[in-house]
Amino acid sequence: MHRHFSLGAFAVAAALLTTFTGAGAFDESKYPDWKGAWERKAPPRWVQQGDKAPLTPEYQKIMDWNTADQKAGGHGWETSWMCLPPGMPRIMNVYEPMEVIVTPDTTYILISHIHDNRRIYTDGRDWPKDVEDSFKGYSIGKWLDTDGDGRYDTLEVETRHMKGPRAYDTGGLPLHADNKTVVKEKIYNEKGNKDVMIDEITTIDNALTGPWTVKKVYERKKDPKHNWIEEVCAENNPHVKVDNDNYMLSAEGLLMPSKKGQKPPDLRYFK
Amino acid sequence: MLGRGLIGAAALAALTALATVMMTTGAAQAFEDSKYPNLKGLWTRSVQGAPRFDTSKPRGLPQQAPLKPEFQKLYEVSLADQATGGQGNHTVYRCLAWGMPAMMNGYGTGIEFVVLPEITYMMVDDGNDSVRRIFTDGRSFPDDFEPTYTGYSIGKWLDTDGDGNFDTLEVETRLLKGPRVYDNTGLMLHPDDKSVINERIYLSKTQKSVLVDEITVTDNALTRPWKVTKAYNRDPDPQPYWREDVCAEGNNHIYIGGENYMISADGHLMPAKKGQKPPDIRHFRTN
Repeated sequence: MHRHFSLGAFAVAAALLTTFTGAGAFDESKYPDWKGAWERKAPPRWVQQGDKAPLTPEYQKIMDWNTADQKAGGHGWETSWMCLPPGMPRIMNVYEPMEVIVTPDTTYILISHIHDNRRIYTDGRDWPKDVEDSFKGYSIGKWLDTDGDGRYDTLEVETRHMKGPRAYDTGGLPLHADNKTVVKEKIYNEKGNKDVMIDEITTIDNALTGPWTVKKVYERKKDPKHNWIEEVCAENNPHVKVDNDNYMLSAEGLLMPSKKGQKPPDLRYFK
Repeated sequence: MLGRGLIGAAALAALTALATVMMTTGAAQAFEDSKYPNLKGLWTRSVQGAPRFDTSKPRGLPQQAPLKPEFQKLYEVSLADQATGGQGNHTVYRCLAWGMPAMMNGYGTGIEFVVLPEITYMMVDDGNDSVRRIFTDGRSFPDDFEPTYTGYSIGKWLDTDGDGNFDTLEVETRLLKGPRVYDNTGLMLHPDDKSVINERIYLSKTQKSVLVDEITVTDNALTRPWKVTKAYNRDPDPQPYWREDVCAEGNNHIYIGGENYMISADGHLMPAKKGQKPPDIRHFRTN
């Protein structure tokens, strides 16, 4: 009798809970609290000190050309100078503070830089058949409860359908021009520190001899009312592309060379 | 029997208390979606054709913007420049951001809303992947905010019909920077950037797939506040495709020495207007 009564009470309590947190409610407590502004802890470079990118010989040659061109005042393989987006995986260098919005269907990553905002779909969808490739790619994620405490702690993400040209950082370290890159991520909080977020990023790309994993670390800013900046790449960008070459604009807005001995652009279309 | 009854009552009380504690904790961490209008999905502007501020009127002078005489003149000069191949006051051709209020014209794929208790986000890939954050956590306008094209928006949810659910988001946007225009005809806002934009955003009472935004612009280029009503249709696809619209990609406009030029198909510089002179190349050694 007693046991029956207790079970009945449990049923009442359960019904109450269902009513208040049922279909219309998003139970945030099941997900990690990633609110706030996150900043990168290290410079925005992919290759860390003492490390070397596992490039194929063909792409090592491209990298060598890129480095030489950058030394001479060019940009090599790098394209963000003309406001083309960094795309994935470079977005996760987190050039400006990052906001992560977790909802059951989608996790949004907002970084005001050059089209660095991402949508990570966690609604169980499959890869679309008719997607137009983009610099940031198409990301599908899955929440994991790795320690079995009944709460999600890790977001596993796979990103495909990217376009290029893309580099890992301003150094111009290239991704393959075939754009068949697959980027896999595991995003979670550092154990025991909810203000540190880790993104383990594995890039599978035909410019590499094998999958390449790097770990990015972000720290949550203390200010709960962070003032989000608005980065508009074209604003005050002194770089212009003419004749497939990079020129600069002087302080008074006039064309000027970006490299020693650079000739002025071809003006054949002017009378 | 009585003892058993008391034990049972005590158990019920204990469990109800536990449920209350759990509900309280849950309430703090659970977001009750049903209290807010369902704004999920992709919203596209309901009036097609070239985006413009007042969708009930054609673009250009027929917009009948209540401009002060000096701004009316500037607008006419801008339109005349555009008629000869220039860009006039229009700035977004060189990939500057639309900002407020033009970003609500519904450029690119459309608008996505994410409604959370403390913030409503609006994501608009209008060439610059713009994001509006409308703070609904009761804050005031900050003293130390660097003005942006999008501005700083504070909102308040209203339950206008008293049914216990929010139905209208009232928004005020300040702290804007420029140059900003209402559309690509170069209809401009005042360069003092003191605009204040008030909005009332709600789902149509009769059609839940239609979203209405009543926008009132108070700006020193205007003789009075200018109010327009915009509507957006919800895309029926539950998994819409968000196209990445990168302004700089394939943009054949180039801005040199305060003038607009074009890049030809073969990558060379070319005039944007008849008789336009080449840019000044004094910084190059020509020998």
